[in-house]
Amino acid sequence: MVPQSSKANSILKWIWRLAFSIFFYLMLAITLRYFPINPDVAFLQIKQSEISSVPAYFSVFYIHVCSSAFTLLAGFTQFSNTILRKHPSIHKRIGIVYVYTVILLSAPSGIYIGYFANGGITSKISFMLLGILWFLFTILGIRMIKIGRTSAHEQWMLRSFALAFSAITLRLWKVILVFLFHPPPMDVYRIIAWLGWIPNLLIIEWYIAKKYKK
Amino acid sequence: MKKIIYVLLAIALVSCRKDKQPVTPTVTTIDNVEELHTEWYGSWVGDFEAEEYDQNKDIVYVNKINISIKKITYNDVIAQSIVAGNSRPLSGSFSSPDADGNFVLTEPGDNKYDGTFTFKIKGDTLSGSWTSINKNIPVTKRTFKLVKKQFAYDPELMLPEEGDYVDRYNPKMEKTEVTEDGETYNEALFRQASESVRTINGSTTALKEEGLKNLKKIDLEIIRNTIFARHGYTFKKKSVRQFFDPVEWYVPVSEDVSGDLTDLEKKNIVLLKRFEKYAEDNYDSFGR
Repeated sequence: MVPQSSKANSILKWIWRLAFSIFFYLMLAITLRYFPINPDVAFLQIKQSEISSVPAYFSVFYIHVCSSAFTLLAGFTQFSNTILRKHPSIHKRIGIVYVYTVILLSAPSGIYIGYFANGGITSKISFMLLGILWFLFTILGIRMIKIGRTSAHEQWMLRSFALAFSAITLRLWKVILVFLFHPPPMDVYRIIAWLGWIPNLLIIEWYIAKKYKK
Repeated sequence: MKKIIYVLLAIALVSCRKDKQPVTPTVTTIDNVEELHTEWYGSWVGDFEAEEYDQNKDIVYVNKINISIKKITYNDVIAQSIVAGNSRPLSGSFSSPDADGNFVLTEPGDNKYDGTFTFKIKGDTLSGSWTSINKNIPVTKRTFKLVKKQFAYDPELMLPEEGDYVDRYNPKMEKTEVTEDGETYNEALFRQASESVRTINGSTTALKEEGLKNLKKIDLEIIRNTIFARHGYTFKKKSVRQFFDPVEWYVPVSEDVSGDLTDLEKKNIVLLKRFEKYAEDNYDSFGR
């Protein structure tokens, strides 16, 4: 019974690693579409009013796109017990990169561009709230390890990464919704703005509850 | 003195002759350039229906045609045929007002799809047929019954309520339906435009990004092409013609209307194009 479940676990882990690698690659490809730097490329094609009327939008957008790709890197290393046990310095270094990137670059820029989000007030609130929570959870996560509370650290960092992972889930929901219902693009956007991160948080809360509050 | 009398006599004779015989020698030439039936001048518009065609080819049975008559004399007729993105000069003859099939007009012959138009005009209807010169093309004969319709640019014109604006040419095949026996079969999904194509006017309003963001590619394309349709552009793509040919006010008059577009329209076209490209690249893909 025990070996069987651990075998199932390790299969699950490998599926997760493979899926995460594929999505990480896709996210990198999306990021690379913005290079060479161009004010009229990809998503920015429908953001020309902001580009021309909000001077900071363009640079903040680029900060968000470039920095956020690095935060996803944490998904490869930070939740691996093997790395944590055998190479704690790798965990610490990548963790530091993650924390600084999130609190100095990705989250603040996300809140800022969230204010100009497509789809009106519905999606603006969602993206700004997402950015604020991401910032807070990450701060809490680093605070907990500073005071030595490792399990609280793990819990907050899981929540933080669940939000970072919304970059992938919101795009995945989009593909699913468009495939199933062919809705107009902004209707999709308003839905995925929320669908991208709320279920992630619920799942991670369920996982945390299962793991710690037995 | 005698000489003077002769001269005077001669002048008198000449002038007398002039008075008595008015213009007979020049009559024929004047008649040749005399324009006939100017009331028939202008655009005759209607369906151009396939009659003889290759059964194995996927053809467009009906296109909207405009036969525009420019000049009719006893010797020649000058006209233009505008259909399916093709504007061709026509020249030929008009036999006589009472004979049957009195117009025979040919296209120059240097285009694969050139042919000969034979028609007559009775009352308010121009009817006849067209046969291709080249017999190795999918449609070799088409017939038509056209009525006079004058083209006029009106920026206020909008697509009518009655159209369903479904793209019949580019279905997406999806294996979805499951019958009771557990069989699956392919179901064609057709793109349908939204209400916006009847409400957003790219000829009278400066379009804004905000107003276009919720539109699908098909909406953006139709809104942009409606600008061209108002100018009488003849569409080369059948996937575009399907939306405009049935529109009552639409009269194809030209292959190139770029010079007729207003500055407002040009700006809107650029914006719409950008959104079309974005929609094409991003609507159903992973990313945004």
